[in-house]
Amino acid sequence: MADNEEFISEFLVEASESLDQLDQDLVALEKQPHDSDRLASIFRTVHTIKGTCGFFGFTKLSSLSHHGEHLLGLLRDGKVRFNKTLASLLLELVDAIRTFLSSIESTGKEGDVSFSDLCQRLDGACVTTNTDSLIRKQESASSTTGSIEQSDHGNNPKSTPAYERNPTSSVVPELIENDRPDATLNPDTTPETDSTPNTGPESGEANARPTNTLDATIRVDVQLLDTIVDLVGELVLARNQLRTTVTVEPALLDAVNRIHNVTGELQEVAMKTRMAPIDQLFNKFPRIVRDVAATCDKEVSLHVDGADTELDRTLIEKIRDPLTHLIRNAVDHGIEPTDIRASVGKPSTGQLSLRAFQESGQVTIEVSDDGAGISVDAVRKKAVEKGLVTAAMAADMSAERIFQFIFEPGFSTAHAVTNISGRGVGMDVVRTNIESIGGTIDISSQSGVGTVVRVRIPLTLAIIPALIVSSGNQRLAIPQSYIQELVGLRENGKSHMIEGLEGAPVLRLRNRLIPVVYLDRWLGLREWKNRPHTGAVVVVKVDNHEFGLVIDAVTTSEDQNSHATETTGLWFIVVKAISSLLAPMGIYSGATVMGDGSVVLILDLRGITIAADIPAHARRAVAPQSKDNDFKEMRQEDSRYLVCETHLGRRVAVPLNQVQRLENFPESEVNPAGNIHFVKRNGELTQLIDPDQMLHTSKTSLQNDTNSDLVGIILPDELGNKALSVRKIIDVEPGHGSLEETIHEDCLLGTLLVGNTATEILDIPAAIRSLDGKQPS
Amino acid sequence: MNTDTGRKPEQAVEQSRCCTFLIADKCFAFDSDLVIEVLQKGVINNVPLASPAISGLLNLRGRIVPAIDLRTFLEFSPASSSVQQINIIVDIRNEWYCFLVDQLLDVTAYDSHQITPRSNTLFDVITGVLPTASHLIHFLSPEKILKRLLEIKPRTLSVG
Repeated sequence: MADNEEFISEFLVEASESLDQLDQDLVALEKQPHDSDRLASIFRTVHTIKGTCGFFGFTKLSSLSHHGEHLLGLLRDGKVRFNKTLASLLLELVDAIRTFLSSIESTGKEGDVSFSDLCQRLDGACVTTNTDSLIRKQESASSTTGSIEQSDHGNNPKSTPAYERNPTSSVVPELIENDRPDATLNPDTTPETDSTPNTGPESGEANARPTNTLDATIRVDVQLLDTIVDLVGELVLARNQLRTTVTVEPALLDAVNRIHNVTGELQEVAMKTRMAPIDQLFNKFPRIVRDVAATCDKEVSLHVDGADTELDRTLIEKIRDPLTHLIRNAVDHGIEPTDIRASVGKPSTGQLSLRAFQESGQVTIEVSDDGAGISVDAVRKKAVEKGLVTAAMAADMSAERIFQFIFEPGFSTAHAVTNISGRGVGMDVVRTNIESIGGTIDISSQSGVGTVVRVRIPLTLAIIPALIVSSGNQRLAIPQSYIQELVGLRENGKSHMIEGLEGAPVLRLRNRLIPVVYLDRWLGLREWKNRPHTGAVVVVKVDNHEFGLVIDAVTTSEDQNSHATETTGLWFIVVKAISSLLAPMGIYSGATVMGDGSVVLILDLRGITIAADIPAHARRAVAPQSKDNDFKEMRQEDSRYLVCETHLGRRVAVPLNQVQRLENFPESEVNPAGNIHFVKRNGELTQLIDPDQMLHTSKTSLQNDTNSDLVGIILPDELGNKALSVRKIIDVEPGHGSLEETIHEDCLLGTLLVGNTATEILDIPAAIRSLDGKQPS
Repeated sequence: MNTDTGRKPEQAVEQSRCCTFLIADKCFAFDSDLVIEVLQKGVINNVPLASPAISGLLNLRGRIVPAIDLRTFLEFSPASSSVQQINIIVDIRNEWYCFLVDQLLDVTAYDSHQITPRSNTLFDVITGVLPTASHLIHFLSPEKILKRLLEIKPRTLSVG
């Protein structure tokens, strides 16, 4: 019996795989009931289970499978027609077998469960569908084999009523015997499948699987593989340390190089052992979709894409529950009932799509449906109601961030948000599960069109190419696949300068404005005043959001023979999961150990996009992009203005998009040249424009105001090297209402309510035109 | 593996053992079964924006272990920079964590019924106290410390 235990555990593993396959096959068969190959395969699988159970003495299980096999035999031979009811019945059988198996697994015995009712129904199905199966058989016979069969049919008209008179299960075996000669005559049935029911379990086993694949595969405990991978990782680190040790001994160098190569290959192979196609998980979903759809009385078709995407096998297990939850949700709450779909003009069958792909060191899994979608405004309202966010903040948030509220615990338990009620139940658990493995989840949805839930999980322990950057004293890794380009910042150069005000800096790059995030400031790495004036911007792209990360420098290889390629500064880093303590921060996707043993965090750019609210940032940066247009046309009611006070105390405002920077300089720096004043900035002369002069408040106001510093509003480079000179900056405020044009003043766009005060808006281009006209040539 | 917490084989079997250490001259203890090892020196790598009690990440033979500064966590004043803190590596449900303490004392045997249970809501991480000749030992629950740390919301972030 002790020997048996090993066989039994092997049987359990194989049987549970077979059952998963049955789930898939049955659901597929439901869609294509005439797929005779699939039917034959289902039959063989059940037959094998039956045979093996008999061998181990699991009589109940054996008898249950026998009932199923019987029905399947009839189906395969075309004597019973496959339909939805039968599919459900057979799936029930699969579940019943699973129940037995789990009982065997935990107790070693079949348990007390009895499925006599199911057996009866299985037998019943053999009988009740018999009549019409016979007709079908005869129909098909008549159509394929011509006149001989047809005359057969004509000669035996009484056979049909004969079956009908005995609709009890006891007659079934007899009927089969009666049918047998018919079946062999029928050219539709292949002779060899017909013989299988009578063969013993051994030959069934041989039929069920091709032996050649078995020979090349062994089952290994996943833990053992994990240990190997960990040890190889250690070996890689030791190798790196060895390589950084300078040596002149040629023999030693040789050995070190060999160790380097072998370790590299070993690492690659070890990594592969961890990977498995996500198909293992995806193939469970057709059954789940079918069952949930049937329960809700909906029609849903599942489309699976990228099932061959590989990821760490331990992760596959961990995303099973969250994904199942998402799929159930999509069918249950996402896709509308058939009648509603019809009323809004959608096809009655809902489309559910499951897509997996690898992207930048992460696996993305998308669950998308073409259902009712979620209304952003409803979620926003709910979030404000629940006090998760203030109304003002919510109004400014992007849809992506708003949808994140769905993952707050208990968010949708209230029914006010009807089209998402239920959707959020357990969504917090889903997020927790995903985050616990260092993943992220987000939702995008359009009301009435559908919802996409995107789950991103790291390929733990995978090796990814990354840029190691430094900011302050911190080194950080940025996965290469996000990186668009690297732009150097020059202190005085006119190109590649960071511009912008009110906390929304942008990088001007080939006439595009890209929002930037100062990593040092954002991560609190050092005092703002201590930052150097040089550095670089790593331009990255996440989904459709392009943004820049301002860094100090890119770390190239520390030593000549490290795993960084010299020319690009790219490093191949081993991604390690960071602790569940840090994963919820959402800005680090993992960490890596460098050759010197230090830990470098890998930035989670997607998380940063959300945390720094890049989309909103980008929207703010959009306005100045149309700079070349006429400023009058550009003025929008919601645009913002820099309000300042001129030297003579006049309150004026400049559209914010015409402001590049603000600079203070002492009065003494101002050099008059006739009526024109210049100030020396960065070794160049910048022409000062005095608004008072522009507006004819006074001719030479600058000289009257000698004691205080000037504030220079540096204008964009396009307008020449010019700055407005004012006494002080009041504030940045939005403009309201419509612009009242002032006809008499050339240099004024008009008057507008800025903040709460009517303010004159300067027409900078007009001022420059008039100034250029006056300038001596 | 264990370097500094030398076990004492002569101790009675039915007694539990705890690993005692000092933080700001007060005596605390972990159940010694949870302690994997003690490191005299460890390079802690900073994690920007992590909550203040998380002092960073430690590379322990390729394993990345978060380090928790118990001084900060227990709201004592920060240690003077001259003090080299000791790293106690603790296993919490198969994840390793490093706890920074001022000074390692000893592995002490005790009877669990001697402990006065404490369930102060403010400091539920202290599960009980045990007076000894030299100290009052405060028993800490690493798991509760972790739970408390996870409850702290990350700092609000802004663009810039």
